Amino acid sequence: MNDQPEAGLPGPESGAGPDAGALETALAQKSALLHEIDHRVKNNLQLIASLILLQSRRTADPAARAALKTVLERVAAVATVHRRLFQNDPLSFDVADFIRDLTGDLAASAGRDDLEIALDLDHIAIPAASAAAFALVVNELLGNAVKHAFPPGRRGRVSVRLSNGDGLCRLTIADDGVGLGGQPPGFGLTIVKLLGQQLHADVQVEDAQPGVRATVIVPMTAVPKPDRASP
Amino acid sequence: MTAPDPLDVLIVEDEVLLAEELAFLVREAGLREVGRAMSSREAVALAAELTPDLALVDVHLRDGPTGVEAARLIVQDVGAVVLFMTANVARLPSDYAGACGVIGKPYSERAVKTALAYLEVCLRDGRAPGPPPLGLTLSPRYRELWDGGLAETG
Ligand SMILES: Nc1ncnc2c1ncn2[C@@H]1O[C@H](COP(=O)(O)OP(=O)(O)OP(=O)(O)O)[C@@H](O)[C@H]1O
Ligand SMILES: [Mg+2]
Repeated sequence: MNDQPEAGLPGPESGAGPDAGALETALAQKSALLHEIDHRVKNNLQLIASLILLQSRRTADPAARAALKTVLERVAAVATVHRRLFQNDPLSFDVADFIRDLTGDLAASAGRDDLEIALDLDHIAIPAASAAAFALVVNELLGNAVKHAFPPGRRGRVSVRLSNGDGLCRLTIADDGVGLGGQPPGFGLTIVKLLGQQLHADVQVEDAQPGVRATVIVPMTAVPKPDRASP
Repeated sequence: MTAPDPLDVLIVEDEVLLAEELAFLVREAGLREVGRAMSSREAVALAAELTPDLALVDVHLRDGPTGVEAARLIVQDVGAVVLFMTANVARLPSDYAGACGVIGKPYSERAVKTALAYLEVCLRDGRAPGPPPLGLTLSPRYRELWDGGLAETG
């Protein structure tokens, strides 16, 4: 911080610095503004989710309903990011907490309490700027395992691992289900591929006999640093 | 009367679409929506008139950030259990204005439904069936009050 006194402003008796009061006021205003924007963003995301949910309830066509549901899940993944974003450090994002949150939502919305989802998560903070991209990737991969790996009646296990080492954040999502069966990628896996590029990540989705194993390796250095100096 | 009466729920939310969605979730959780309010004054008056078991209260209402005071009055005058639903979790007073807890916005369908089911049991039994579900934070007072099933030490 700069200690230079502002010309023309007499310092208060306390000796806290000539314009400490003014600085404090400006800071308080900035912080109030930030909270106001944070509040707006969260409310508006809630509004978007509500609109989609309400519309899907009025939709009779099962295919249209299913499509709205996947849109809602994607929006909800981004919304979950924002719910968590301001809780601690606004510039970084805890991936493990997010995955825990998302897992509950996905299993519940799929109505599959016969699936075991095993989490083995190190606490890893990534910059807030990468949080939505990472969250969407996790959402697609985990969603696929829950939706496609186990036909009704087939029990199974999905394991999610998150670890940190050598400057790399490693995410593995593996299921012991039916496997890809040569199915071409749809929109979900396309999102994964594109966002993987954005995150400079190495993404593999492959048959693991049994099931599917998806690996995402994100270099912690390639993602933008939570640095005030960056534009 | 064999089946227990469903809990009566008052929804206090100034965004009508969010209120509409909440009403859906309340119904799906097997509870009964008895009314909706958009301002603090309306909320307090409706609560006194309808004596709900549970009030879902947003902090920002039509007349400003008045949800906290409305909650305090609803708890004191009506004896309803209040649950905050707000994007401003960090700004709640440390005593939660007497409310039982908070769900942070943006919430998921699952978070609201599991929280409502959990609170229904708490209200019926006077104790928690276990730790609160993900997405629901209990106030210190209610954590103690419903302590029964919570194996927390500390
Ligand atoms: N874990 C998995 N187990 C079995 N099959 C899978 C798995 N993941 C993906 N698949 C197969 O790959 C296909 C493509 O997946 P992708 O996520 O791209 O699209 P989708 O899930 O069908 O639709 P959406 O665009 O909504 O995600 C799926 O339809 C499915 O057949
Ligand atoms: Mg998919």
